[in-house]
Amino acid sequence: MTMCDKIRPRLTAYLDGELADEHGSVVRGHLRECPACREMARDEAALRDGLRALAPVDPPAALWAGILARLAAEEVADARKPRWRRHAGRWLRWLRAARFAPTMPQLAAAAVVAVAAIGLLTWRTHRSDDAGHVVVAPPLVHPGHGPAPVPPATQAPAALHGDVTEELLAEPAQTTASYARVIEELMKLAEQDSTGWSAEARAAFNARITGLRDAIARAGQGHPSHLAQSSMIHYLQTALAREDGLLAAGGAQ
Amino acid sequence: MTDLAEPAPAALAEPRTRVSATLTDDAHLIAACRRGEARAMEMLYHQYKRRVFGMAHRIVGGSDAEEVAQEVFVRVFRGLAAFRGDSALSTWIYRLTVNAALSHLARRGRRHEVGDEGLTELPAPAVIERDSALAARIETALTQLPAGYRAILVLHDVEGLSHEECAAILECRIGTCKSQLHKARARMRELLGPGLDERSSPKP
Repeated sequence: MTMCDKIRPRLTAYLDGELADEHGSVVRGHLRECPACREMARDEAALRDGLRALAPVDPPAALWAGILARLAAEEVADARKPRWRRHAGRWLRWLRAARFAPTMPQLAAAAVVAVAAIGLLTWRTHRSDDAGHVVVAPPLVHPGHGPAPVPPATQAPAALHGDVTEELLAEPAQTTASYARVIEELMKLAEQDSTGWSAEARAAFNARITGLRDAIARAGQGHPSHLAQSSMIHYLQTALAREDGLLAAGGAQ
Repeated sequence: MTDLAEPAPAALAEPRTRVSATLTDDAHLIAACRRGEARAMEMLYHQYKRRVFGMAHRIVGGSDAEEVAQEVFVRVFRGLAAFRGDSALSTWIYRLTVNAALSHLARRGRRHEVGDEGLTELPAPAVIERDSALAARIETALTQLPAGYRAILVLHDVEGLSHEECAAILECRIGTCKSQLHKARARMRELLGPGLDERSSPKP
């Protein structure tokens, strides 16, 4: 790669006064020596000055009247809409304001996912209901006769009973551990990346991480802890998505 | 003209934002417009009409600019009730303007049975009149640019918005905005040909 190839991508930033001193000095030094790059820079400066100097375009006098007429027409059309369409419009506007404007394929995909989820839940509920009859039914007690013997046919498979209960009890702990693994992996990546960040960005990042770790410690166990861990993962992902670490300083609060 | 062998003058590094409305002014204006006060609506229109129309004019061209500007202001007045103030009012209005202009171009492209992507790939006319004034040549070259490049050049260079504002309007990262500006200017230089600076132009 020649010096010209390195300098030319930086010309725009240099001309706009956005290069740090040391980089600006390198560009200036090259421009003194290289007539081709100098001419390119002069052309770009002339172009930029020419663009800045373009005369403002005045809107036509009738524009305001046209806007008022369109507003009036839309309001009349709104008033004539059936009630359900006005409500649908409000919902769509709300979704758009929430930066979510579903397209037809997205709606179809959401419907498929919803149907699948309902199907799965129903199936699982039925299955656990069946299991519940077998597993947790208390033995019948006959007063005065002692506990009735449990017929062997209705006895739950002991292994299944034990496994499911243990699994359910272990689930939150497994989730906590899995979140913790993700956090540690992201932290390793952040440590590598942070060498390229400014000292200020690094300090802000470290302060935020300390705060997030405190929040995890304060949250205790279970769901609150998962939420705190999830916040930290989100922050780390967002910070890592930036090449310059700027967001680490200010974003993803 | 900038002497490029000398250190960049301070003027280059100065912020060039021309927006002066304060948040408080905007908040009052928005509240009055939401109440449907005609005077406030007209005030908001006058505050933003030049920039909105100017951006629309340079992105979609003179013949459709009025239609796009009308659409933008109608969306602004009808959307103010849902405006949450996540960004400055000006940023929101300019975002609506750029989006309306780009959507208009896409619709126009479909009507002409040529997609927007197709339009961007059309070769530029080989000769842009060299003897016309620089401003006229720049205006002509702007019309040959892909719409996205045109938008960033209009926002940053013509309207003088900062990279931060451009990134907020275009909903992209500041780095993306800078690289798009660099590419857009390079494309403009290609369209206009060398010797833009009078000092380096060949003498007739």
